[in-house]
Amino acid sequence: MKELLAIEWLKIRRFRTFWILTGLFVVLLPLWNYEISQGVIRAGGGKKGVNFLSTQYSFPEVWNNLGWWGSIFIMFISILVIIIVTQEYSYRTNRQNIMDGWKKLQFYHAKVYLVMVLSFVVTIYFFLLGVVFGRVNSGSFTGVFDEFQHTGYFFLLTLDYLGFALLIGLFIKKTGLAIGLFILYSLIIENLLRGMINHYTELPWGNLLPLQASDELFPFPLMRQARAAMMAQTPSLSMTVYACGASAWCLIYYFTCRAALLRNDW
Amino acid sequence: MKPILSLQNISKSYGAVRALHDVSFDVPEGSVFGILGPNGSGKTTLLGIVLDVLIAGSGTYSWFDSMSPDAARRQIGALLETPNFYHYLSAFDNLEITAAIRKKGKDDRTPILKQIGLFERKDSRFQTYSLGMKQRLAIGAALLGNPKVLVLDEPTNGLDPSGIAEIRQLIRKLNKEGITIIIASHLLDEIEKVCTHVAILKKGDLLLNGPVNEVLVSEDQVEVKAADMALLQQALQKMDGIRKISGSEGTLNLTCEPSVTAVEVNEFCIKNGIVLSHLLLKKKSLETKFMELTNKG
Repeated sequence: MKELLAIEWLKIRRFRTFWILTGLFVVLLPLWNYEISQGVIRAGGGKKGVNFLSTQYSFPEVWNNLGWWGSIFIMFISILVIIIVTQEYSYRTNRQNIMDGWKKLQFYHAKVYLVMVLSFVVTIYFFLLGVVFGRVNSGSFTGVFDEFQHTGYFFLLTLDYLGFALLIGLFIKKTGLAIGLFILYSLIIENLLRGMINHYTELPWGNLLPLQASDELFPFPLMRQARAAMMAQTPSLSMTVYACGASAWCLIYYFTCRAALLRNDW
Repeated sequence: MKPILSLQNISKSYGAVRALHDVSFDVPEGSVFGILGPNGSGKTTLLGIVLDVLIAGSGTYSWFDSMSPDAARRQIGALLETPNFYHYLSAFDNLEITAAIRKKGKDDRTPILKQIGLFERKDSRFQTYSLGMKQRLAIGAALLGNPKVLVLDEPTNGLDPSGIAEIRQLIRKLNKEGITIIIASHLLDEIEKVCTHVAILKKGDLLLNGPVNEVLVSEDQVEVKAADMALLQQALQKMDGIRKISGSEGTLNLTCEPSVTAVEVNEFCIKNGIVLSHLLLKKKSLETKFMELTNKG
């Protein structure tokens, strides 16, 4: 594992796109949340509106709130994964790596490990941001570990998004098309499917679609409170179901890509 | 000599297109083995299969007497179709990746870049290289870590005449050092000049294979003319070592045994009282031979 990751590192350490996209993620996620915590977005418009989102940065709300925004910003890293994978195909270095002595599975696992490491590092960053925002807005560390399971959820969400990006990249192979399809799926197609499925089923099974399953782990901050109030009336699935759903998708991506890569010509 | 690579009944199809059909041959250790065939004859597919990037429909192959394929590939320097490198990385950084995958030290990089004439540009990104420089780098990468075998698919693509000559010299030099070289090409000249063995493919079928001097025996032809052509033909029919006599435009073409020389033909005619007005030895080129082989059927 260490050896494969060391070679992946050689590939990306001087790759400008890698630094730009991770840099954007690292800078924009806290900046965006800082602005909101300072009351930039207000209901009712203008400076006189109600600063309702800024209440969400104390412990323990900060975990869910940050996770919800994180699920949008993770698109940067997902696109990065797609670029890293598809460029191996456009440069034909996927073939060269094999000819130079890697097994096909080693090439694949190098990418899987990269996705896991990225997910891990992003989760650590998420945790640090949560601690900082929570401390600043709560005034103390009281309750820092309440709802701490969100850190685990965030790892799962990142793994789900990046794993899905890896799958799209490995199957589509063309960078532009893969990014286009990824965005189209995550923003439109999945919502269409979810709407259709949920319309016909009693429980919202459509929420278990690949990316939605992990999105459900971080409901929109204010909706969460509203939903808690409505829980009695609206049928819903538990967080455990969503966490299992997202984990199951990660396994499905892994085994689908593995089977396809081993079976097909490179 | 034991084979370094042995292929048994390799077949491969792309849908309805038959790329390779039941191809079997051995590559002897220490040879320069040419795989020859027109465009689309299956050369690259064949190399792709033995390098594990393509999957054979049926058949098997083994390197170095059944060494595990990935361990074998680390002993092989390979260039398939195009130079494949990370465009945003320099030659130096690209070779570091190659060395790491091959589990070899990266100290080889400097001497290799000097050998292929890219040392001054070692820190330039691959994407800034000319086609010839990219091809050189691919050959350099193949040489990294002292491979036992080089697999080169159209290695002179994109090189200028002096570059082609350099590659030819390099192949000869490496072969002398004991490296087995497998080279696929549609350029006969390339094969004829450097190869010791050859396999000829046409539309996925192996037409023939073996040592170049056995497989591609070039039959010489002697062209003669005399005042009395009928008498000349009559006399030559009695000469030993002449396989075939054909006439065209007032000359006779003699297909001779390799031992027959033009001098002997001349002497024979004089002895029979015929003075030749024209005597020409025509070497049959490999190209003619190749065209004959690949156009049959």
